[in-house]
Amino acid sequence: MPSPLTPKNSGSNLTTPSDQSVTTQSGEARKPEPQAPAKALPLRVLIIDDLPERAKLVEQGLAENAVVHTASQLHGKQLLDLVSEIRPDVIIMDCESPDRDSIESLRSVVQNMSKPIVMFVEEENDQAQRAAIEAGVSAYVVDGLTPRRVRPVIDVAIARFKVMDGLRSELKKTKDDLAARKVIERAKGLLMKSRNMSEEEAFAAMRTMSQERGRPLKEIAESVISVLTLLGGQA
Amino acid sequence: MSPNTLKIGFARLSDCASLVAAKERGEFEKQGLTVELKRYSSWAAMRDALANGVIDAAHMLAPMVVASAAGLGPYPNLFTTSFAINLNGNAITVSNSLFQQIRDIAPETLQQRPHLPTALRTIVAKRRETGEEPLTLGHVYHYSMHGYELRYWLAAAGIDPDNDVKLVVIPPERVVDSLARGQIDGFCVGEPWNTAAIEAGLGRTLITSAEIWSNAPEKVLAVRTTWSTQNEDTHLSLLKAMLTASQWVDQPENRLIAAQMLSLPNYVDMPVSMLSPSLTGRDVQTGGVLVQNMPDFGIFHRYAANFPWRSHAKWILAQMVRWGEALDDVDIESVATHAYSTELYRKAAAELGIACPTIDEKLEGAHSHAWLLDAATSPIAMGPDLFMDGKIYAPSESGKAETDAESETATNVK
Repeated sequence: MPSPLTPKNSGSNLTTPSDQSVTTQSGEARKPEPQAPAKALPLRVLIIDDLPERAKLVEQGLAENAVVHTASQLHGKQLLDLVSEIRPDVIIMDCESPDRDSIESLRSVVQNMSKPIVMFVEEENDQAQRAAIEAGVSAYVVDGLTPRRVRPVIDVAIARFKVMDGLRSELKKTKDDLAARKVIERAKGLLMKSRNMSEEEAFAAMRTMSQERGRPLKEIAESVISVLTLLGGQA
Repeated sequence: MSPNTLKIGFARLSDCASLVAAKERGEFEKQGLTVELKRYSSWAAMRDALANGVIDAAHMLAPMVVASAAGLGPYPNLFTTSFAINLNGNAITVSNSLFQQIRDIAPETLQQRPHLPTALRTIVAKRRETGEEPLTLGHVYHYSMHGYELRYWLAAAGIDPDNDVKLVVIPPERVVDSLARGQIDGFCVGEPWNTAAIEAGLGRTLITSAEIWSNAPEKVLAVRTTWSTQNEDTHLSLLKAMLTASQWVDQPENRLIAAQMLSLPNYVDMPVSMLSPSLTGRDVQTGGVLVQNMPDFGIFHRYAANFPWRSHAKWILAQMVRWGEALDDVDIESVATHAYSTELYRKAAAELGIACPTIDEKLEGAHSHAWLLDAATSPIAMGPDLFMDGKIYAPSESGKAETDAESETATNVK
């Protein structure tokens, strides 16, 4: 079986800056993380997404400033084993992913993780939460990591999720347009045949109806088809 | 949005039956509510949707509400429930190979009800000696009855769930696949997923949750506490619709119809044959063999099942403390009061003329047989509430005193 993880820029980062803070099982930080951005190592980010193209998009957005791993089609124990192996500082995943339930169990699995993983919302304000939720991003961060360090990673993820959404709705629009055009062509043909109209007349008739009723042309074409099919007995 | 138009989240499980029945039978409309049911395949996603107002109520794991009240997880003090959806309904199923090993080591334990995992303890110890990987057992969410039932069962035979085995969380829809791929050796999950594993020839059910704790809490109808306060009338109407739907589902003659409703693509989307065992209690497996009839496999209304018993919330919290998830100085009374709101339920029951407990908690584990709850607006027939190890859980000192009258039953148990 091919390895489902794709390590990028992997290498020198054996420790993370947040290793310096010690946490208790309840997730309470005993020692605050020292503020030393100068020597901060790049964050380790794990993107868990069953949509490989979206994972790639987020990965590209983060690759310059973080050590990025991606996991696709990996669930349950295998996924948790991967997390213990990679020990990410941040996990980015789709809000609706069932794998979130597995990831949330890491909260208390302290024997496998040096620090519990908490949900990003616990660290952030309402506005930041909302932006993430609206984009369908959920993020888990190692307890004790300052929001200031995580924030840029989350922002990139949100932006890339939105781009993906945009691409997908564009694709959907193209498909819908194509389907609508087919319906309109068919209705036009039926009108031409049954009412002896020219192509222009048939189209103009439907457009007038569309404007008068305030309904999209595709809907008008659909009713034309159903009415003419019903009257004519066949399409 | 009008407060009479609601969105309610549910999971693909047999115990969403009363929600589906309320929708399909028009119980919501009768109470002036327009309800859209929204399916989720992750508890975390459903919880976030409830927290952020995407949905107004949720078919939620009882421990998730208790966790929120105890300040655990991302949404502290946000949720409450006034309605318990069902009792029982989970089971522990193991792979065929693990079942075979248990049968080889101690076949006699499979004849005993409830099945105590002593053979499993032997297997666990042997694996450690030989340096094999520990057994991996799945359950469905970090704060779940499934997790606590699995832990209770293992611990009853002296298996330490944190060190002797590896517990992993796998969403219900994925447990059968994980068993098929050999990634886990067994799991504790709700129906129809145990039945699905058996039907696929992948495993055997060793014990049902009702044998670990009879009539244990399971799902609740969770809402945001602020939503309940601001929309009390809507919440009350919702409870009334759920009560009448639950009464209907609970009738044995309606269970198969409920299974048919659940099989629809927009609900559980599974064949009726997979859904009927858990709903009818017929052809349920335990001890690795088919048991012809377990009428109490899933309870939706009788035995005061819909009442949010604070003793249930407290027991759940006690498990969180037992397994190190909550600190032992947690304010049990305060958490139970915030998590389980009893007053609105009482109002709904009174308006419908349904008998309702007048106490908030009861001694758990004291009844090995059916009993009569006198502390109610009219006496309620109750089911047994035994724990598999015969222990008794007293929710509070006052609870102990209150049930002294029943100590005869209690001492008879063990």
